[in-house]
Amino acid sequence: MTDSNKRLPNGSDPKPKSGRRRVRRKWSLLTTLVWTAGIGVYLFLVAPMFVIFLSAFSPTEYPTFPPSSVSFRWFTALFTNSDWGEALRVSLILLLIVTPLTVILGTAAAYALGRLKFRGREAIRSFMLSPLMIPQVVLGIALLYEFTSLGLINTLTSLVIGHMVIAFPFVVRTVSVSVSSLDPKLESASMSLGAGRWTTFRKITLPLIKPGIIAGTVFSVVESFGEVSISLFVSSPGNITVPVRIFNYIDQTFDPSVNAISVLFIAVAVVAMIIIDRAVGLTKVL
Amino acid sequence: MARTSVVKRTNSFYWLLLTPSLLFLTAFLVVPFIMLIVLSFREVDSLLNVLPTYSLSHYTEVFTSGIYLNTIQSSLGVALLTTVICTLLAYPAAYLLVRTERPALRTLFYILLISPLLTSVVIRTFAWIVILAQNGLLNELLMNLHLIDKPLSMLWSMNAVVIAYVQVMLPFAVLPIATSMGEIQPKLRQASMSLGAGRVRTFFTVTLPLTLPGMLSGAAIVFSLAAGSYITPLLVGGRLQPLLPLAIYQQAVQVFNMPFAAALSVTLLIMVILVVLLLGWISKRWEARLRD
Repeated sequence: MTDSNKRLPNGSDPKPKSGRRRVRRKWSLLTTLVWTAGIGVYLFLVAPMFVIFLSAFSPTEYPTFPPSSVSFRWFTALFTNSDWGEALRVSLILLLIVTPLTVILGTAAAYALGRLKFRGREAIRSFMLSPLMIPQVVLGIALLYEFTSLGLINTLTSLVIGHMVIAFPFVVRTVSVSVSSLDPKLESASMSLGAGRWTTFRKITLPLIKPGIIAGTVFSVVESFGEVSISLFVSSPGNITVPVRIFNYIDQTFDPSVNAISVLFIAVAVVAMIIIDRAVGLTKVL
Repeated sequence: MARTSVVKRTNSFYWLLLTPSLLFLTAFLVVPFIMLIVLSFREVDSLLNVLPTYSLSHYTEVFTSGIYLNTIQSSLGVALLTTVICTLLAYPAAYLLVRTERPALRTLFYILLISPLLTSVVIRTFAWIVILAQNGLLNELLMNLHLIDKPLSMLWSMNAVVIAYVQVMLPFAVLPIATSMGEIQPKLRQASMSLGAGRVRTFFTVTLPLTLPGMLSGAAIVFSLAAGSYITPLLVGGRLQPLLPLAIYQQAVQVFNMPFAAALSVTLLIMVILVVLLLGWISKRWEARLRD
């Protein structure tokens, strides 16, 4: 009661500006604090990427800051060591097999889930997204054991399946966003005009959910190209991907050519972000 | 009559699209987990050959040996610590993302936030080795600034694991908080402040309660990732850290005791599921309370 009594005359005060200004000054100190903390967090996020860049062009084994000079010796080491070429070949073959399969499976599933109405639909959606949350070491062990029992271990198939399980939820998630913003009336209009299911799907649905499919494709490529947790369990000496090779190098020796190959991964991330931004907009992707 | 048949035909078309994925996930997600659970009950002989008999022996070993109880405890501790730090750091980051008025700045924040998600975990972990090593970047910087005389040993410790985890998983905490923060109507905060609440009080009485569901869903992801990753602790913490994922990796890849690795895996999986369910339950209860 006393509170409101105090405020009432204050509200009708002829100079309310002074009060507001005082509030704003209190704001700006807090704002500065929050912004400093926030920018600190963003710098912390980007620091490792920055360090990789610094190291890749550093003439010494351990990078120095500020850098003394620019050198490309780690990049030449990359081309002279046939290990990297072989690993890159395996990774690229995997991408060519995994990406189309995962995108087709994931798009079909996301579209069907968006249109079907039944109890348990959300449970199926969570199930399809669950590889994102399952502890990767457990998934790796489970697949290792299954592939060993099936005799699939030491084959490329085991890597293909492992990568598909990991990349699948990303496609489902991005395509689902596009499907949920697609008006089903457009499809029923097409069908009432005489177009069949498949024609409607190809001519109406696919073009309209294309942004989600593109973003899903990018995520699938990035996840498959960078996958290491499952690959480390199911890959064999003949089928070593780039991230597994990097893991072995870091684990066993300190080889600075890892810096150079890391720049390749950062380049892939940058290209991925540009494509996602063009397709759906970076702010809407997750 | 004709309409129901159309609906039925359309529905079967959708089921046709859904079935391949369901079959795929059943074959390579459900079946391997069932096989893993069965394996965890199989006995092994002294040469670690898997025997056709079943028992609880691996689980009794996990839950009675001091080493593994300690491992479970410190795994939980590291995952919880990572989750708490990520959540605390996520609020200012999400605030900047939502409140900035310049589109260019917002895009920059998004780039900084999403780029770690698009870079392989080995690369990010490798960067932390370069930063934290004895002759690494941070030690050199501190030495050049004459803050320390001799290099600090920061790598190969649980602290290094937590630092790397936080950087790797922070985006998963920021994005859901930013989403729910963006959905808060500005009117609510204005109302709170016009009623005399300061900004800090407004945060605790309006923003925090309304972003809690987003915070909890981010926390669930961060916790399960932090509890289940083995690449980062292996490279930054070293093989000897008492963490469940490392123990699982060693049992499977070095000791070749697959049934025991399976028992540890099932333990880890149940631990993660319990925490995720708990967070989901709190979130549901909270949302129900907000609606009243």
